[in-house]
Amino acid sequence: MRARFAPVLLVLLLSACATGPKYTEVASTIPSLMSSQGRIYFYRPSALGAAVQPEIKLNGEKVGTAKPHGFYFVDRAPGNCEVTAATETEKKLTFTLEPRQERYVRLKIQMGLFVGRIVPELVDKAEAEDELKTLSFIADPLK
Amino acid sequence: MRHVRTVVLLSALGLAACAPEIVRHPTQLAAVTEQPGGTIEVLEDASISVGPGYRRVIRRGSVWVSIGRSVEGEVFKPVDRVFTVEGAHIHEAYLVLAGDRIVGFYLPVERAFSPAPDGPNTRLSIRRRQP
Repeated sequence: MRARFAPVLLVLLLSACATGPKYTEVASTIPSLMSSQGRIYFYRPSALGAAVQPEIKLNGEKVGTAKPHGFYFVDRAPGNCEVTAATETEKKLTFTLEPRQERYVRLKIQMGLFVGRIVPELVDKAEAEDELKTLSFIADPLK
Repeated sequence: MRHVRTVVLLSALGLAACAPEIVRHPTQLAAVTEQPGGTIEVLEDASISVGPGYRRVIRRGSVWVSIGRSVEGEVFKPVDRVFTVEGAHIHEAYLVLAGDRIVGFYLPVERAFSPAPDGPNTRLSIRRRQP
């Protein structure tokens, strides 16, 4: 009986993950930043709690979801940023964005009382680029 | 016994999900305007509390640039790194030093000062460089 469930669970898990070209394949084609804007990368490196894929909002505007093994980016005018992920409890991340600056937000799963929740964390560029290597680019994160 | 373990685990998870927000109050940053401020280089790792139940390590070799002063101390922003404090939420933060003591953190979005939860007694081993 268990043997029947294992493949089903595996398929469900894989279908919940992002597909698409890897960061290493698209990095050189990512457009350069306009001097009046900054860029924020969002990525989720873990497939743990894959069913939990809340909307990710930047200053109250939906920019995508927390798709496991996926990443995307948005360009915005410099200023204050607030990232939220609506799950069981909401944990906000606040940071500043400067012109031509790149910021990296890791969407980490944390187990809550009943379901997992997504915690947005600000990450160093070097650490983020290392984690991004194996992740898939989500070209249209609002879909 | 199993039930006790489950209750303890669930309580821990519940408490982690309900961490109180960090203590902070508004402050004014007098920014360095004429020329870039001096920098400090951290010479030894330092583990510090940054909020209720949360710690961060200030890494050896990390460089921080002075961006100005608040009434609480001199404000240093990390160079090519990020630093955050955490409670109910996570906030980008800069170090506020009085000499080599960490007195707290400056939150640039909130324009607020958050006192060091460990008290103002944690000393950083640093090397100063003038601009």
